[in-house]
Amino acid sequence: MAIDIPTRTDQLPTSATRFIGKAVNRIEDPALVSGTVEFIDNLSLPGMLHCAILRSPHPHARITGIDVSAALELPGVEAVLTGEDVERWCDPCFTAPEGWGNYCLAVGKVRFVGEPVVAVAATSRYIAEDALELIQVEYELLAPVANPDEAMAPGAPLVFESRGTNVIQSRTYTWGEVDRVFAEADRIVTRQFRWNRVGANPTETFGCICQWDLADNSLTCRGAYQTPRFMGIGRAASLRLPANKVKIISHAQGGGFGGKGGPRGTDIAALLSRKSDGRPVKYIEDRMEYLLAGGGQSWDRYYDASLALKADGTVTGFKVRLVDDQGAGAEGYGTISAAKPLAAFTGNYRIEAAFYDLTLVATNRAPTYPYRGYGPPPHNLVLESLMDVAARELTLDPAELRRRNYIRPEQFPYTVPSGNEYDSGNYAAVLDRVLELADYKGLREAQTKARAEGRLVGIGVVSTVEPGVFDWNAYATVGVPGVGVPEGVKVAVDVFGSVTVAVGFNLQGQGQFTIAAQVVADYLGVDMNTVKVTTASTDVALPHFGQGGSRLGVAVTGAILGACEKLRQTFCRVVAHVMQTEPEQIELLDGRLQMKGAPSHGMSIAEVAGLMLSRSDLLPLGVEPCPEATFVWVSPNRNQPDDQGRCRSYLTAAAATHVVQVEIDRDTGQVKILGYYIVDDCGTRLNPANVEGQLQGGVAQGVGAALYEEYVYDPQCQPLVSTFVDYLMPTIHEVPMTVKDHIVTPSPIAPLGAKGCGEGAIHTTPAALLCAINDALAPLGLECRETPASPRRLWQLLHDKA
Amino acid sequence: MSTRQTIRLTVNGKAYEREVEPRLTLADFIRHELHLGGTHVGCEHGICGACTILIDGSSARACLTLAVQADGASITTVEGLRKRETGQLHPIQQAFVDAHGLQCGFCTPGFIMTTLELLGENPNPTDDEIKEALGGNLCRCTGYQSILDSVRLAASRINTASAA
Repeated sequence: MAIDIPTRTDQLPTSATRFIGKAVNRIEDPALVSGTVEFIDNLSLPGMLHCAILRSPHPHARITGIDVSAALELPGVEAVLTGEDVERWCDPCFTAPEGWGNYCLAVGKVRFVGEPVVAVAATSRYIAEDALELIQVEYELLAPVANPDEAMAPGAPLVFESRGTNVIQSRTYTWGEVDRVFAEADRIVTRQFRWNRVGANPTETFGCICQWDLADNSLTCRGAYQTPRFMGIGRAASLRLPANKVKIISHAQGGGFGGKGGPRGTDIAALLSRKSDGRPVKYIEDRMEYLLAGGGQSWDRYYDASLALKADGTVTGFKVRLVDDQGAGAEGYGTISAAKPLAAFTGNYRIEAAFYDLTLVATNRAPTYPYRGYGPPPHNLVLESLMDVAARELTLDPAELRRRNYIRPEQFPYTVPSGNEYDSGNYAAVLDRVLELADYKGLREAQTKARAEGRLVGIGVVSTVEPGVFDWNAYATVGVPGVGVPEGVKVAVDVFGSVTVAVGFNLQGQGQFTIAAQVVADYLGVDMNTVKVTTASTDVALPHFGQGGSRLGVAVTGAILGACEKLRQTFCRVVAHVMQTEPEQIELLDGRLQMKGAPSHGMSIAEVAGLMLSRSDLLPLGVEPCPEATFVWVSPNRNQPDDQGRCRSYLTAAAATHVVQVEIDRDTGQVKILGYYIVDDCGTRLNPANVEGQLQGGVAQGVGAALYEEYVYDPQCQPLVSTFVDYLMPTIHEVPMTVKDHIVTPSPIAPLGAKGCGEGAIHTTPAALLCAINDALAPLGLECRETPASPRRLWQLLHDKA
Repeated sequence: MSTRQTIRLTVNGKAYEREVEPRLTLADFIRHELHLGGTHVGCEHGICGACTILIDGSSARACLTLAVQADGASITTVEGLRKRETGQLHPIQQAFVDAHGLQCGFCTPGFIMTTLELLGENPNPTDDEIKEALGGNLCRCTGYQSILDSVRLAASRINTASAA
């Protein structure tokens, strides 16, 4: 029987929602503020060993000898792992496209500074670190490939010799009549941009405890795992185990943002356990390891892009050439993030034709990984910066130029040239509201006055679409197979009527346990605080993905609604049987199964569950004594992409416009944010406080990416950033306290009308800041086209001019 | 290297005597010897502030302090805030819950301990004073706005309670 998932809150079996749509407190928070949540480093197992990893000091070198004898003699050292073991027991991790993965420890040669070379398991981390100092590794240095230009030069050293090239993938996409619109354009604006590497840097680094059962030849991994099932399948492949012999137990994570890493550390700890006669081995990545070579480097991009316009400001075409420095291979799926912009390539605009020339290149920098947003933050910076350049050339207000080109409300569902279908939106309403909120006219007047005083004050007005609820099909063109990302839950009512929701993921910060409790409580008519949400390990969990791609709030809502709907159907059958009527005569409302038209005749959820579990004599034929239901949700109506990557990929299209006012200090190059205003539209806000938190957090990361954060490498590919003294994370002083409002255009197709909302702000903030900076610089005829627009970079720009 | 030293200290009101290696960090001692896991370690080089605790009433980085340096000290960690037996949250903790001042919660104990010190010294801080106090704690999730709200809320509640 088909299960209908409600797309509106008024379809829920409740006379009024009590939790959904309200900024209720999060059920996860009392334990978090008490310091009692079991983050992985809080856990110890009997007999547990501790892992430390010796890493490569060279970006590119052949390993000619490893001597671990002294380390093995150190009391407390139980096992030492080298590339020899790894080559015997493992395969390189799988990648998309295939064949660009490294082993978990270097085999034969090292490809980046920080690549693991030898790992030690000892009775304490201190002893394990001591042992590293006793290991001798001899290297024969190879010329490094420091950047894409070097990598693509004829005769360049090869990062992966077996590939015969450093180009991981190079292809073009043509959507619509690109040549014609550019030929017929009244104006074409073209610019180059450089987006330097930034990355996730969750406050908790990666950690795990792995135990290899030598009798069963199976592996149990506990750790800070963002996508448990995906991680399990990957480990099975790289460690040559059947997938059902790898069990992943996901612990609460101290943030993730896509850049948690994990595969390497897990494989290394697992193999050390195997080598230590099955003792559990803990590996806790430290911050320097994370910054050098963890999962936290993303988006190392060189752009050359053009916009075609008519004289009236109608944008007709958008061309992007992207060369993306993936670092040493594709192990972190940095490749995929270059395909993500297909989901919203042309942003909020009715641009009829577009072209994407994409080249993914391997170098001897650290491999790149996902980071919140997964590609659109740089892409949007390019598109929105060109919109501002065009506005300047056409002497149009940048807000007005955007308004003229917006997709109009009546045009939804709207298929963009790159193939995705936007479900709904009202971009002009968002713009109107934010211009009002910011007193845009007043900001421009203040700017005029400031300029007259010689101050460098600028305003950015930037609109973006946030593709929400990712699907694998979005990434097919870089080698990811499949359509549909399942998210499964089990909803169970016990004999006392208490409700437990089992999910496949664990806490990461976005508040999905609370969302789950809100939805189930409103559906089943119970109190939210009585709902227990728990994480199933991968051996028993339903198919799931977990956090990623602005999807989990929507996906878990859909899964819970599906399971609750199945429960409702079963409960109706049971109650109808007891009342000697037909199931169609029974309805669920406010937690009671009752006779339609005679609501005093009925039973509570607790009574039905109790009856099912304790009075099998009263059950109708064919109904199991099981007041539980599972449901695996998947985005409806997704399809296979065509040869140009076009498909219905991301389910929802949220939108936002940010207005920011900045001032650049001429003497220091520092950008001061004077005011920051946001209006967004992510459909139904399941928990408005969660949404605001996602927005503000994304702003902070956007501020970091646009102004401060950068993984700096020297020309020999040596990383110059290894601590938070070098990698400048924004503090409370740098992040603006934003003024926010929202409008609500519910999704017509997503559960309860909610749209993905975890990435919208980081999609927008870097572009908004750079546009504001360039607006400030415009009177000087200067443009900054590189991020981060750090004080040094801006000072240089101003200084060189002088 | 492994000449162990005896230290005596009080943590959350409870006295401990332990033999430790001189190189053992106070963070590792608290977390792995005393099994108080709420003091989190985010960078181990004194920047992120997740491991902030109070030593004799003053905030300190547990990752940059050696256990032997805490000999004789009285230490408060986040575990010392909640009421024993009832589990009732400290007003600062409750304010962080009510104002959504956390997301992943990993940095939160550090923020709470820093706030505890701030409000002890300055029960009615301005926004600038709050920012000054919290400027040494990194949060990667919240963007700090709800943290600022949480500290304001905690201050107002504590002041109301003490005025009553």
